[in-house]
Amino acid sequence: MASSPRRITFGTITCLIASLPLLAGCPSKSTTSSGASKPEVFSLTWSEYPSWSVFGVAHEAGLLDQAEGKLGEIERKWNVDIVLKQADYDKCIEIYGTGNADAVCITNMDILGPSLQKASVVLFPTSTSDGADACIAVDGLDLESLKTQASFGLERSVSQYCFERVLEKNGLNPSDYTFSNMDPAIAAQALQSNDEKIKSIVVWNPFVMQTLESRSDAKVLFDSSAIPEEIVDMVVASKQAMQRKGGKDFAYALMETFYEVSRRIDDPKSADETLVALGEKFSNLDAKAMKTVVTQTKFYKSPKDAIALLEKKSFRDETMPTVAKFCVEHEILTLEPGKDVSLGFDASDKQLNFSSEYLKGYLETTAKK
Amino acid sequence: MIRKRIPALLFLALSLAGIAALISCYAALSARTTAKNAQQTVVPGIDGFKKGFEKILKPGGMASNPKPAMIWSDLAATYWRLFLGLAIGVSLSIVVGVSMGAYRWIEALLSPMITFLSKIPPTAMMPIYFVLVGTDQAMFATMVGLGVFFTMAQSIYSAVQKDVRDDAIDKAYTLGASDMEIIVEVIWRQILPRVIDNIRLQIGPAMVFLLAAEMIVGNAGMGYRIRMESRILNMNVVYIYLAILGLSGLFAEYALLWTRRRISPWFGE
Repeated sequence: MASSPRRITFGTITCLIASLPLLAGCPSKSTTSSGASKPEVFSLTWSEYPSWSVFGVAHEAGLLDQAEGKLGEIERKWNVDIVLKQADYDKCIEIYGTGNADAVCITNMDILGPSLQKASVVLFPTSTSDGADACIAVDGLDLESLKTQASFGLERSVSQYCFERVLEKNGLNPSDYTFSNMDPAIAAQALQSNDEKIKSIVVWNPFVMQTLESRSDAKVLFDSSAIPEEIVDMVVASKQAMQRKGGKDFAYALMETFYEVSRRIDDPKSADETLVALGEKFSNLDAKAMKTVVTQTKFYKSPKDAIALLEKKSFRDETMPTVAKFCVEHEILTLEPGKDVSLGFDASDKQLNFSSEYLKGYLETTAKK
Repeated sequence: MIRKRIPALLFLALSLAGIAALISCYAALSARTTAKNAQQTVVPGIDGFKKGFEKILKPGGMASNPKPAMIWSDLAATYWRLFLGLAIGVSLSIVVGVSMGAYRWIEALLSPMITFLSKIPPTAMMPIYFVLVGTDQAMFATMVGLGVFFTMAQSIYSAVQKDVRDDAIDKAYTLGASDMEIIVEVIWRQILPRVIDNIRLQIGPAMVFLLAAEMIVGNAGMGYRIRMESRILNMNVVYIYLAILGLSGLFAEYALLWTRRRISPWFGE
């Protein structure tokens, strides 16, 4: 009885809240259209991660403005309006997959699924996990005794990939081990609060660092530094968006943003300030902790580094096929019978194209300017 | 005219038309999205749902070690957790609610605390449950149990106060009944339909807490599957799961309504 008026007010409030951005968006759009040609609007969805929080930092630094209708320095230079949408990692995949963003920050593993239905192009790799994903155990567990305990981490994610790949690399059989699903934040929390049933977790940063700090008997059994350049973080865009007017400028503006913030991290003059800003966008870590994070998440700091990865033989012929195989085996990818994963390097006919074309284009264009 | 009756047949026809409209809107949306991109799995069509059903009904495990299909293990996991949680929450709230309604000193002791705690959304308490109760079955049961307990204890307490008239209790005392006899024979009989109604109303919120928890911990369950499959954009499976949740909710609703009418026909609608 009492619930019906409550439901009405709740609905009304939701409506009001939902209409706020509409109201706010209208006037700002008309005021910024005074430029020569109105910049095209493109969107990027990103989640907290060292090499992706860069875009959040760029907003703070005024290089980009995350709002639609407002331009930062780099946006003005390339005459493109970039809208930043921050969300949880899983949500980013959904936002991109359902067509609500033109580009996404995603790993080389998780993009395989969405690209099946949404033809995509890898614009540039941002970083690779070099210790940022780790299996942490307590009670003196080793690789042998780990067989008796379940390891907790997010199923069907880079955590499970890292777990099984490193075991394989050590000549062990992953099917002798139990990987049990749990959100990494909760798994880390459980280990830190001495939950008796949780002796081993597979998580990523900041949870790796946090857990090691708060439990002195916790040890890293192994981490992603054993599988270098297999877990790669990237910026991927839909081919459809790239074909739109201003698509290239969008790609170049994202690259310039990423390389500018990376430069600032390395420049002693701006390093601390940038790392602190990055830390704020990444679980509130301080500059010192962020330095560790940044070494465990190795950035591809320049277009040349990025091109080198995309042209590297082992990445093309070994890593990506291994990743694709893992995804098919774990039903992350469901392929039509007889069909193969459609991915290629500088192959524009593939559903997922790891392209160095935009990186090279960016180098050429900036050399001219 | 407001509240004017309409023929039963027309009522039925309109109900069916509403459902048909919902389905055809969905079909149109799916066809439009598929026309734009034949590979899309976001708004699946009939083929997509066929594949979805095949996937959820495919036996799990290996030939040498067969396991039930995912839908059965997920349904079993979620509804067992719901049942455990509700069993704890409901029995506890009956004991506490009835004693609060019956004895002033228990009312004074517990009522302010329970009123306060019932105002904290159980989903917000999740991190506390993870730390205090761990992350396995006990956590799900505690969370659902305590989630419904505070609200239900309050409703039962107010039912004892309002639905049981003083003269009924006085008459029972005059006829020589003991306290326990009054609680069982007078109070419990009077509030039983209210208890059943409250269980019916609490299933919805309980499912909210349970699914929220299953989305972050656990290896099986409706919430787990919905998160995992939506993460890899298998929306065909997600929609089927949502439909199953809706249908089972409807079933529980009618089953409890029927039970209440059966047990306490005097209570009316």
